[in-house]
Amino acid sequence: MAIRSLKTGTFTRSGMAGNPVIMPGSYESIATVTANGTSQSLTFSSIPQTYTHLEIRGISQASYSSNDYGAIGVRLNSDTGSNYTRHVIRGNGSTVPVNGLTSTTFAECGDGAYLNTGSTVGASVISVLDYTNTNKYTTVRGLSGVDNNGIGAIAMGSGLWLNTAAITSLTIFQQNANFTDKTTFALYGIA
Amino acid sequence: MALQLFKIETVEVASPVTSVSFSNIPQGYTDLKVVVSSRGALTQVYDTLWMQFNNLTPNYSPTTPTIRLIQGSGSSVSSSAFAGLQTLQNGANATASSFGTADFYITNYTGNTFKSISVDAATETNGATAYTNLMAALWSDTSAVTSITLFPASGSTITTNSTFTLYGVL
Repeated sequence: MAIRSLKTGTFTRSGMAGNPVIMPGSYESIATVTANGTSQSLTFSSIPQTYTHLEIRGISQASYSSNDYGAIGVRLNSDTGSNYTRHVIRGNGSTVPVNGLTSTTFAECGDGAYLNTGSTVGASVISVLDYTNTNKYTTVRGLSGVDNNGIGAIAMGSGLWLNTAAITSLTIFQQNANFTDKTTFALYGIA
Repeated sequence: MALQLFKIETVEVASPVTSVSFSNIPQGYTDLKVVVSSRGALTQVYDTLWMQFNNLTPNYSPTTPTIRLIQGSGSSVSSSAFAGLQTLQNGANATASSFGTADFYITNYTGNTFKSISVDAATETNGATAYTNLMAALWSDTSAVTSITLFPASGSTITTNSTFTLYGVL
């Protein structure tokens, strides 16, 4: 018996007796995108519809001339309209700012970008549950953080896309400036 | 190496139920993860969803905090400590077609020590007020986790299209 990839449909490895025990996992890499310094956004397109949930993990930096942190936003199916709500809670070492907005143009995923060049990057883990379920509006949830030895924040953000369509593309963007080439995001499918 | 995550069971609610259970949980993993996308019938914007292990009444008193929470509402932030492993789910008065989402991560679930759990959750709705929660919890029991039950604290039902998935983590 061979193992079939959920992503590609191809068969790999053999489960015949005598071979190492194979346990097909439920967490599979779909794609990785890396910025080249010319855009404020990165897009995963033609997302396979064969998983149950999506998870995006990434590190990011934007070429904004400040020593600060910035938000990571998500847009779904190329929708740039005011069809999202977003909420965030963050801690920056001294205060705990919160924010909630309706009729916005993106879902909030927290402060995952370092706003300057150099060696510091922010980190984000973003969840999109039931992304193919057409009975639900899509909720995006992100946990992220940045620390530059004095300036930094940890944040949890969420957003609701007011549309029940299955998610076929997902765009990550930074409001302040272009992502630098230290920015990479990886998309995973979860069975 | 990708996360070693293995789906054990999925429950998709086809008609309203009072609880969802994962029973006879295999004991061959290291940790467990429960992923929830749920909505309840309580006629409020939000409802509390409890998690119970091994069908036991929680073995802690209300005066012994076992969960610590930081919560943002969109306009304010709060931190609290209380008893009972729980999260929020959307209620019947939340925006139609919106569901609360939560990840429960249960560490060392087969070990003979107390069990530490982390929860991150969001109850999004089309309103300025919606909750983002981070929680840390402790189940003060050295038994292995063999079953997990989730149910609304209000006694109302979990609505159709809610989904619950149990994963084993190596």
